[in-house]
Amino acid sequence: MIELSVSRLNKRFGGNHVLKDVSFEINGAEMIGLIGPNGAGKTTLTNVLDGAVKPNSGTVYLNGTRIDQLPSFEVAKAGLGRTFQVTRSFRRMTVLENLYVPALAQGRSHKGKEVREEALEVLDFLTMAHLRNEYARALSGGQQKLLELGRLLMLDPDVIILDEPFAGVHPKLMEVIYEYIRRVNGRGKAMIIISHQMDSIFALCKRLLVLNYGDLIADDTPDNVKNDPVVIEAYLGTTEDRSGTGQDDDETR
Amino acid sequence: MKRQNVPQLLGALIVAFFVAFPFVYTGGNYDYIMHICIIGFFYAILASSWSMLAGYAGQFSFGHMAFMGLGAYTTALFCHYFFISPEPTGICTEFAIGGQYLIVKNPIGVTSTTLTQDCLAQAMEKWNGTVEVTRMPVWLGIILGTIVGGIFGLLIGLLVLRLRAAYLALFTLGFSEILRATISAEIQITRGQAGLELPSLFENGITIAGHFFSKTDKIPPYFVMFFLLLGCLAVLYWLSQSRFGLFVRALREDQDAAAALGVNTTRYKVLVFVVTSSMAALAGTVYGHYVTIITPNNLMILQMSLVVAMAVIAGVENFIAAAIGAILIEFMLEMLRTSFSIGGVTVDMTLWRLVFFGVLLMLTLRFARNGLLVPVIDFFTRGHVAAETVALRAAQSGRGSDDPAEAASQETRT
Repeated sequence: MIELSVSRLNKRFGGNHVLKDVSFEINGAEMIGLIGPNGAGKTTLTNVLDGAVKPNSGTVYLNGTRIDQLPSFEVAKAGLGRTFQVTRSFRRMTVLENLYVPALAQGRSHKGKEVREEALEVLDFLTMAHLRNEYARALSGGQQKLLELGRLLMLDPDVIILDEPFAGVHPKLMEVIYEYIRRVNGRGKAMIIISHQMDSIFALCKRLLVLNYGDLIADDTPDNVKNDPVVIEAYLGTTEDRSGTGQDDDETR
Repeated sequence: MKRQNVPQLLGALIVAFFVAFPFVYTGGNYDYIMHICIIGFFYAILASSWSMLAGYAGQFSFGHMAFMGLGAYTTALFCHYFFISPEPTGICTEFAIGGQYLIVKNPIGVTSTTLTQDCLAQAMEKWNGTVEVTRMPVWLGIILGTIVGGIFGLLIGLLVLRLRAAYLALFTLGFSEILRATISAEIQITRGQAGLELPSLFENGITIAGHFFSKTDKIPPYFVMFFLLLGCLAVLYWLSQSRFGLFVRALREDQDAAAALGVNTTRYKVLVFVVTSSMAALAGTVYGHYVTIITPNNLMILQMSLVVAMAVIAGVENFIAAAIGAILIEFMLEMLRTSFSIGGVTVDMTLWRLVFFGVLLMLTLRFARNGLLVPVIDFFTRGHVAAETVALRAAQSGRGSDDPAEAASQETRT
């Protein structure tokens, strides 16, 4: 069973204490929403979990392996994959080449047909099979988001962090992304979804983590979080405010 | 024949042309034209390997000519200072190896040309022709130079791991200038601006298919440099088609995203430096033994700019284009040396040709950022992609797919 254990993570950027003793655990194929206002530390937490940023203190264990001091590529190999808030496809590489990168990085052979066939299956699922030989830069923003999700399918990690998967996405593409999330979760993968789109988060997740300026102020079911006065005060606001689809802008942290 | 196969056919024709050229060329200035070809091949190795470094891996280094110089100076110093003798000199640093002596000549700077002051010259004077001293083999110098280039490539690759874009360019520029200044300053060892002489590639001539070529003949170095170019292109092609090529391009596009997908970006960033700097050093060693002298001016930033311009004008993201471009531009630069008069005003093209070259570079960067040759190659290799996408899309629609990705693309295209 998948086990992710985050214990007392702290991260400071100069005088800015971005993560303050953040602790939580994931056991099994959970679907978790990570929410919080801009500057709450959501992307920093993602960067720390995936090895891009080293914490000042605290530990992260994935399936019994300590990963908080590993470089990103080893974290990926250990079984944690992520997307980025601002889509980061390999723009001057073809769609298929984008998908080959994570597969070959796992040591799989590029000579047989197996990887190509798997990549085509992924593209078929993402309704992008006809774009296989186009450069990624020729894709729309939404299609590039799908491509990023496709790369994660090829990486096949145990824990997947999706940073703002619904931001700026057309409603029809949203359906594809919903289906993606359900299907991947159905394969026994744990998922952490970062989003300001509360409707989507509440519809998909059975557990929410709420960060507020570095503090993990809630770790509970969506219903309990909705009614948590601390969360309402810090982030959700009144019922009328909840349907907003704000954009996060702390990607560069 | 499929359109995608045209570049392969053209490539085979170009190779056949250059193989036949020395035997069929009957125009004037045979040695001069052959020399331009050899130098063109030399620049083609540098431009294509730099294309792998900068165009494929996105490591915009200005240190490529420094690696070339490292290779050339390594073999020059090796051939200049190390000798094999059957007798000990008693005055040089020497090591007994299997009945022979490895003699290390003492550095005495530019005055060594008089052949009377260094220890070996003194010993030979004493021996009065009774002992025959042998130079180190050129091929060993070439191997050593290539290895030294690779080692420095490894060190520089490790040092620039955290540097990107302008910082990387400035760092490698600094390295190049430090190396040039060091070589210029260490007159005792390197003979400074006077340069170091090297033995010719085939010092005693070579017989091929019953025909003897003297050391000044152009055909042997022509084919050495040409096959070296083909070898380097073959290695670059193999790398570009392997996971190495895929990963370094991912590195160029987005280092963090590549790492997040499991690519060991550190390893591939260092590897690409090692491979390309070894190639530059290898080209430098052969170039040195061809021109038989190497000076710090070979490492000047102007020379590096020339390699960069050759690759950029032809297309930096395709090493074949960079190689072809280097040969064409080398010819163009030489052909433009002919001065002419307009209305009684003489235009000195030995100076103005570089202006012409600079204008071509600026126009390329402004109007054809992929270079002048890459769009032509893309026309043949990727010209079918758009039609294929449309056909696949039509087939997908025929299967009844509602294709939300495509439906939404028009509204969200960025």
